[in-house]
Amino acid sequence: MAVESPDERRGFLKLMTAGLGAITAALAVVPGLGFLAGPLTRPGGRSSGSGNPLRVAAERDVKPNRPLRVTAVGPHEDAWLRLDRVTLGSAWLVRTTEDGPIRAFSTVCPHLGCVVDFEESTGKFNCPCHTSAFDLDGRCLSGPSPRGLDELETHVESREVLVRYQRFRVGASKREPIG
Amino acid sequence: MSAGGTPKKSRLREWLADRIGLEALGETIRAGQVPGGASLWHTLGSVAAGLFVLEAVTGVFLATAYTPSATGAWASVAFIQDQLTLGWFVRGLHSFGSSALIVVAGLHLLQVFLFGAYRRPRELNWMVGLVMFGVVAVFALSGYLLPWDQKGYWAKVVEATITGSAPVVGPSAQRMIQGGATFGTLTLTRAYALHAMALPAVLTGLLAFHIYLFRRHGYTPKWSLSTEEAAARAVPTWPDQAFRNAVVGLLAWGVVAVAVIARHGAPLESPADPASSYLARPEWYALPLFQLRMFFEGPLEIVATMVIPGIVTALAFALPFLDRGASNRPGDRRRVLAAATLGLAAVTALGVTALAKDARDPAYAKARADEKLRGEVARQLALKGVHPDGNVFRNDPMFHAREIWDERCAGCHGLAGMGGEKGPDLKDYNSRAWIRGFLANPDGPLYMGPAKIEKGMRAVDATAEEQEALVEFLYAETGAADADTAKAARGKDLLSPKDCDTCHDIDGEGENDGPNLKGRGTAKWVAAVIADAGHPLLFTDRNKMPKFSNKLTPAEIEDMTKFVLGLKGR
Repeated sequence: MAVESPDERRGFLKLMTAGLGAITAALAVVPGLGFLAGPLTRPGGRSSGSGNPLRVAAERDVKPNRPLRVTAVGPHEDAWLRLDRVTLGSAWLVRTTEDGPIRAFSTVCPHLGCVVDFEESTGKFNCPCHTSAFDLDGRCLSGPSPRGLDELETHVESREVLVRYQRFRVGASKREPIG
Repeated sequence: MSAGGTPKKSRLREWLADRIGLEALGETIRAGQVPGGASLWHTLGSVAAGLFVLEAVTGVFLATAYTPSATGAWASVAFIQDQLTLGWFVRGLHSFGSSALIVVAGLHLLQVFLFGAYRRPRELNWMVGLVMFGVVAVFALSGYLLPWDQKGYWAKVVEATITGSAPVVGPSAQRMIQGGATFGTLTLTRAYALHAMALPAVLTGLLAFHIYLFRRHGYTPKWSLSTEEAAARAVPTWPDQAFRNAVVGLLAWGVVAVAVIARHGAPLESPADPASSYLARPEWYALPLFQLRMFFEGPLEIVATMVIPGIVTALAFALPFLDRGASNRPGDRRRVLAAATLGLAAVTALGVTALAKDARDPAYAKARADEKLRGEVARQLALKGVHPDGNVFRNDPMFHAREIWDERCAGCHGLAGMGGEKGPDLKDYNSRAWIRGFLANPDGPLYMGPAKIEKGMRAVDATAEEQEALVEFLYAETGAADADTAKAARGKDLLSPKDCDTCHDIDGEGENDGPNLKGRGTAKWVAAVIADAGHPLLFTDRNKMPKFSNKLTPAEIEDMTKFVLGLKGR
């Protein structure tokens, strides 16, 4: 049996020490990273409204070619919080003729998520952040927005307008609901 | 034992020195030299480090009163700002101090660049410095969100979205920042953990390494001095350079403190509201990037958000290897100096353009004024204490009134067609249009019709001109300041010819079939209706509205009155 020199044995010891250190570190780091990356795997992340239609306005208040901005208030779950009445977001209600159908567009600009305004002088929706413009059908006329305004499901029930509020991924040309 | 021995103080000193090795430490400090002499130029690094200490200390104080949650963050910051002793001052130091840190760190970077102090053998320390600058930027971006006010919220929404637009890893990175698919409490807890725990540890470690490398390689003297000249003029760091560091350091803290006092602390806007139309603008140091994005649209946007900043960062890291000048003299480094000057000019131009554009824009000014007002109202309301759901506007008497309305009034009264159908719709109540509509058709669907009162009021039969005069008379009775008194007087004269006085008295005393019209629609009158609409001076025994004097407190009736009167013009 060959006799190992003390230095050779120390080399093995060093390797073992480093290995043990790495294992110890991994014990903390691996679960830690998993914890941190939770939002990547957890579906949806229990956010945003319950998906139920929310009352937002009286039908007669939506005048032709005068979009009306309404606020969607509803229940909201956020991490450990469960709130009954929270402002979820807002929508533009649009009709182009008297007594015509009402359409609802999310006010979230599909570009970077700012809130679009309606400019009466031009009759267009404008984003104040990066100057995207949209017509009353929600089509993008100019500016950096990759798609038109996101339409929301809406219907009229006993003279009240109901909107199903939803958020969509911004910055993408394809409409993709989130939350 | 101590007879004739050393004094007590120095014995303690000796005891400590033996155990800590103070002597060696003192030696190290005293051994530091500044070749070429002490200079104000050399103060910047230590001033930046000092500002980091200011941030750390004030940050710990702030953390003692801060709550990182979507419902509690804004309320806790408003509490710090407006109620805690010196809270506005400590928060102001922390906020303005961060801007000062960015400025001083930037100047330090510039000085190191000018002096050529990034060149061999200090390449690595230049890079460490750049990483530290990046860490400071992440510090600022994460701290900006923590108050969960409009400004921080919307800036972060835009940043998260920009992150999400990066190829391949973008969407995952965005989810990691947000702590989920959308913004919420986890966005805040993550930013807080990063800002208050992870980054301080990282920056402290980097700073220690930065100082270690700096001590190893020493100061870089001004380019005009030869090595021999610099050595000849060398002075000890302690106290020659240290004194200058202390002076400029105190000056920097002083400037921050004066700015805090002059502006009474850092701004706090109204709570984050995802439904509001907020004009998002980044903090001043990010404005050049904001403006740069304006030049690239659609798929090219990534050029402004990632490609150009990426190239600039890579060039900065590679600078020590790109600069092949023979010496530190500017004459030998013309190319890098020219490139950097050009870059700085471009950044400045972009920032100034962004500021100038907003300064010219009336819509921007209006949005800022609106937000200022909203913020002041919110902070005023927060003084009463914020409800656990975080909605400070609950403290608004009108918010409470609206809740009472929804609970007790909306069952019968409509508001713009929404709500119950047993009493008059009160939208725009007391306006000329409402009164006109009432007189023309008292039993109409939006007026008394739904109440189905037997033998109620008949429609007024009058010419258009007479009708208007009657409207003006009733409008004047509400106490409206813009009523036409002459016209109202003509209306009053018509009460008898038009048979109004059969049912209505106007003296405030006579009890008749219909309400006495004196002061109809004033706050006092509306409050009386809410309290007891069946009073003989009001709707008498035909009334169908419940009595509220025993259901609402006098203060609540007052709030409801304000609410109803506030419906005019809505």
